[in-house]
Amino acid sequence: MNRMIMKKRSILKEREKTQRRKGKTILLLSFVLLLSSVAVRAQRTTFLKINEVLVINEDNFVDDYGKKYPWLEIYNASPGTVDIAGCFLTNDISHPKMYMIPKGDVLTKIKPRQHALFWADDKATHGTFHLNFTLHPGKPNFIALFDSDGATLIDSVTVPAGQRADVSYGLIEDGWTQKRLDEELRLNSSYKDKKGDALWVHYEKVTPSSNNKILDTNEKIENFKENDSQGLGMMFTAMGVVFSGLILLYLIFKMVGIIAVSMSHRRAMKASGMTKEEAKGITEQSGDIYAAIAIAIYEVTEMHDDENTILTIKNTARNYSPWSSKIYTLRELPIKK
Amino acid sequence: MNFSSFLVENLQTFLTYTGFANLTTGHLVMIAVGLFFIYLAVAKEFEPMLLIPIGFGILIGNIPFKDAGLQLGIYEEGSVFNILYQGVTQGWYPPLIFLGIGAMTDFSALISNPKLMLIGAAAQFGIFGAYILALFCGFEPNQAGAIGIIGGADGPTAIFLSSKLAPDLMGAVAISAYSYMALVPVIQPPLMRLLTTKKERLIRMKPPRVVSQTEKILFPIFGLLLTCFLVPSGLPLLGMLFFGNLLKESGVTRRLAETARGPLIDTITILLGITVGASTQATQFLTLNSITIFALGALSFIIATSAGVLFVKFFNLFLKTGNKINPLIGNSGVSAVPDSARISQTVGLEYDPTNYLLMHAMGPNVAGVIGSAVAAGILLGFLG
Repeated sequence: MNRMIMKKRSILKEREKTQRRKGKTILLLSFVLLLSSVAVRAQRTTFLKINEVLVINEDNFVDDYGKKYPWLEIYNASPGTVDIAGCFLTNDISHPKMYMIPKGDVLTKIKPRQHALFWADDKATHGTFHLNFTLHPGKPNFIALFDSDGATLIDSVTVPAGQRADVSYGLIEDGWTQKRLDEELRLNSSYKDKKGDALWVHYEKVTPSSNNKILDTNEKIENFKENDSQGLGMMFTAMGVVFSGLILLYLIFKMVGIIAVSMSHRRAMKASGMTKEEAKGITEQSGDIYAAIAIAIYEVTEMHDDENTILTIKNTARNYSPWSSKIYTLRELPIKK
Repeated sequence: MNFSSFLVENLQTFLTYTGFANLTTGHLVMIAVGLFFIYLAVAKEFEPMLLIPIGFGILIGNIPFKDAGLQLGIYEEGSVFNILYQGVTQGWYPPLIFLGIGAMTDFSALISNPKLMLIGAAAQFGIFGAYILALFCGFEPNQAGAIGIIGGADGPTAIFLSSKLAPDLMGAVAISAYSYMALVPVIQPPLMRLLTTKKERLIRMKPPRVVSQTEKILFPIFGLLLTCFLVPSGLPLLGMLFFGNLLKESGVTRRLAETARGPLIDTITILLGITVGASTQATQFLTLNSITIFALGALSFIIATSAGVLFVKFFNLFLKTGNKINPLIGNSGVSAVPDSARISQTVGLEYDPTNYLLMHAMGPNVAGVIGSAVAAGILLGFLG
């Protein structure tokens, strides 16, 4: 009877333990889910940028109907696909919900670092990418992109008046912000001479649905060819970095080692009441001794000549695992009430 | 058309599709290379885990066939081999291999004697020495970077970097890296003997102390934070390496560690080996560039080994007697794990049969893995 009660208790205990573990797992999972949903949200529309605008389209890009209208380009600066559907485009700040980008069109999903082109032709019936407003050649054109709540401004730009025909107005590099440009100007002294210091520039060679900056050459490689044709600069810099990284790691683990050794001294002194010198002797022993002891124990207890062919009646110890738990695989014992 | 002429015509068409009809000298040369790799693996037991899949892959990649859109070749979009090859071209096989390497590597030797890390750093001179030589041979800086990484003696790193910097050279770089990794028992010992004196070869190193589990757990965490903060472009390789090591050392994720160092790394090694081998189709592979890359690869291994050994000798000038390092472990900064460490042991035993250098050599050996991944990150950051 006592044995049965004990068994029952242990089963209940195990069940309780498993449930507690399950609870913790659920809590952890919900935390991970919450984190990932935040990440997904962050991956969404906030990365969208108004990237290039053409106000006067006289002899330029034509739409699917063969017509030439002003256009604007949205760039997805994120490393993931962003669905722009549900967001709003407007040319009037007091009317943010001027044009809702329709939902359900597969083309509204902008791939990472890719573009979507909208025609400002005031012909929304022509399709998802045709806006219900147009741009005015004679005056400044304000354009804004609002999030699906119609209140959160994602990005906006005011294209100055006096735009030239077939010359677009775009960001100096895809998706750049003023902060990014300032950083580049600070780090790269020759950037200003080559490209200037304005965030928005005019493009004679327009790039609808494509990168604003089209590379004829790889700038980095050209720079290396020009300034470090022998490769010595690369060698010294790179070896400097490799050494710095490993020296840092060395210093940290030198310190960690000192702390670990002194802690093991203290533990040895506390456990067996030995003096500092004796403890030092023990903790400075090399791993060889322990390895030799481990091999000897293994040889005595574990090694067989023909391990796989020996029949044994020895019980095998099984450690508890929720995957092999008996409470999930056996029916409950009948409980006497 | 009568029946017999119909049959003859069909047979003639069939013959144009056979390998015999499409055979070129290039195919024969590459098949011979593949057979040589298999021979090295089976008869000499040089890196059989790598050379058998790569050697057989070379055979697969060099079966001649008519380019009739049958989706057979590794470079034909949509073919089975092309799909498997995505792991190489998109660069996701190497990080998975690094995960397995991390899960099977014991960093104790390095933690107990962290100054050995510097040897791993010194051996990376091989990478940049080869980079300079490649520039001298007229390669573009990005191509030179891809070639230089052969000196890192790390197949996955070489594949990862060359797929990013110079995809057209990736086959040659990968084959060269793996070939020389298999040949470290041939390349390294003469250099080690040449650059050391008999007295130096007999140096006995202090046995490594016992390393606590806390230190072992801290290593991958600090390792990741330090190296990746310094070189974020090394993240795919270093991130996975240290993650794998934490799985191993944490002691609570045994199943994950076992999968990473067992079935997972085996699967990826098979896929990586066979597809890298198959990517050496004679038509794409047999060029003057490939031969130059092979020559530069050999030089990069020579520079890396020499730099490691000479650095230990230099380092010894600053170390007290009793703390000196045997320069025979300098070669193991070349991160061909664990072969170069095994060579330190073998050469060391030739001069003193009771001087076991293996544990000491494992320190620079694993530091070499970290060093070459950091170097790859730098090259990617500068030239990518």
